[in-house]
Amino acid sequence: MKPILEVSDLTGGYLPNQPVIHNLNFSVKESEIVGLIGLNGAGKSTTIKHVLGLMEPMSGSSKILEQTFRDEPENYRSQFTYIPEMPILYEELTLWEHLELTAMAYGLEEQTFLTRVRPLLEEFRMDNKIKWFPNQFSKGMKQKVMILCALLVEPKLYIVDEPFVGLDPLGIQSFLEYMVTFKNSGAGILMSTHILSTAERYCDRFLIMHEGRLVLSGTLEELRERSGLTEATLDEIYLYVARGKVT
Amino acid sequence: MIDVKKLWRKRRNAHLTQTLKYFSLMANSGLIVSLILLIIVGSIYYAKLLKALPENFPAVLILTVLFSFLLTKSAIRTLLKEGDLVFLLPVESGMKQYFSKSLSSAIASGSFITLFVFTLTWPIVQVFITDGWKMYVTFAFFLIAAKVFNLYVAWEERRLPYKSHQMNYKIMRFIVNFVYVYLLFNEAYVFLIAMFAIMYVLKNFVFGVFKKMHGYQWEMLLAEEQTLKMKGYRLVNYFTDVPALKQTVNKRPLLNMLGTFSFKKKNMMSALFMKTFIRSGDYLGLYIRLILIGFLFLYLIPAGWWQLAVVILFFQMLSLQLFTLYTQYRWNVIFNIYPIESNVKITAFMKWLRGLLLIQGLLYGVFYGLLTGDWLIALLMPAASLAYSLLRLPSMTKKHITLSS
Repeated sequence: MKPILEVSDLTGGYLPNQPVIHNLNFSVKESEIVGLIGLNGAGKSTTIKHVLGLMEPMSGSSKILEQTFRDEPENYRSQFTYIPEMPILYEELTLWEHLELTAMAYGLEEQTFLTRVRPLLEEFRMDNKIKWFPNQFSKGMKQKVMILCALLVEPKLYIVDEPFVGLDPLGIQSFLEYMVTFKNSGAGILMSTHILSTAERYCDRFLIMHEGRLVLSGTLEELRERSGLTEATLDEIYLYVARGKVT
Repeated sequence: MIDVKKLWRKRRNAHLTQTLKYFSLMANSGLIVSLILLIIVGSIYYAKLLKALPENFPAVLILTVLFSFLLTKSAIRTLLKEGDLVFLLPVESGMKQYFSKSLSSAIASGSFITLFVFTLTWPIVQVFITDGWKMYVTFAFFLIAAKVFNLYVAWEERRLPYKSHQMNYKIMRFIVNFVYVYLLFNEAYVFLIAMFAIMYVLKNFVFGVFKKMHGYQWEMLLAEEQTLKMKGYRLVNYFTDVPALKQTVNKRPLLNMLGTFSFKKKNMMSALFMKTFIRSGDYLGLYIRLILIGFLFLYLIPAGWWQLAVVILFFQMLSLQLFTLYTQYRWNVIFNIYPIESNVKITAFMKWLRGLLLIQGLLYGVFYGLLTGDWLIALLMPAASLAYSLLRLPSMTKKHITLSS
């Protein structure tokens, strides 16, 4: 399988000489969901910011389809969409306008937009709210708007940061179904989450971060092998790592 | 147990400090000069206006309406914060002292504003109603008394859980105020005393009952506080940048056409800016106001070539105020990660701003041409806006947007 996202030797942080993440090496390939797991403050969000091209690496690189953000900014960014942990909406725009402008920004044809948007709206039960403004939405509905915008574009890569918080069970189910569908048609998905039982069921591989470093990675089988915990669930392995037992 | 009185004092002091700081910033930005100018120009026109008013000018009616609105309004700053919904809810019963402090300070500022407005209208009263310092004191006393009454009952009114019910009582207060002020300006003191009796009954037996029936409407109080705070910020924002200013959104469906663009990638940014402009808080109002004030200047200042400098000054003011429309996206991740290069975004913003400047210049030109008949200078006004947007705007944008992002 071809790698879509390739992160190599990535080191970075907010202050010079004080890196928050150290020498990260991982990839997201076609047709796989990769779970990014770690405690609060482990460096997941910082890693994601580097992948988004919002932070410049101190050393190493993050490449999408062989290109870095510096090489081809516009091209790099048109390969992925991002679902942030906290929904960020334009207060002045209706739901429909959010979708429309996202489609325009990512260069979709109007016809493509119209054929994709209806089933999405129905699936997430937002089809009767297209004229609503963000101040009328609950937190979960705002999250749905973010998800709809990201799914609408159908990019090669999805970067998803803790998508389940605030989402109702039907919403979670619809979202996961879409993720599986897109995965099966060749997309790669990097998903950061604390909901380990869901991650265990849906992710093909896991990246476990601790204090800015990647301490364990691989499929569940591989994680069990490397941690020496046969039969363990992802929860157990994660707790084991989080308590600093693996270095 | 929290000392709520101390909490109030702390918040009030913080509020006063902030107000003073913003005031000094406003003063630095030329507020004092413009205020003095405004007072001089205003008083000249006020005097002129008074002389020009006809004999049968319905002064009593107009003042009655004015003061009825002023008395009914009764805003109360509670200085509540969002976190209070979580942290102060458990001490609800103890909040009485906190709110009574906020009511007292509302009474102080409300009385001052009433007195101030009454003093402003005093020349009208002198010409059309009555004269003499005794009358000034009497009227001021009755108006302030009514203001205190209104604030007291308006506070109780805020306990009602539905906005529509609050509105009904507000309308009732308006009617009472209208009658009261009307009687006052007709110097019908006997009836006024009767009004006092009615107000006493209202206070104790109508509004006073709410206290027993309802608790505080925390969310509404918080929403009101936020609105009042934002109003203050918006005022300050005319003079200096207020980072805490949250824009309110108005749907303005009639203007939707202006924000409609054909479905192309290159139009995305223009669509975003235009939709924000027509719906977000005060940008549109600011644009219209700047144009109208511009007209006023063109009218007041003697005609001549220097009028071109005046309109360029207004182009500058508009651009400075509208840069915040772009910088408000500074922390929006989604805006930042669109597959659109940042210089393309900024160019789109400048193009959009140029459109507004051209319309502004065109309107000034037409106004000036109709006013003076000097169509050469009139024609140069839109030309100046074009020149301004091509020569000056790029470097300004660089300074205000590129450096801040």
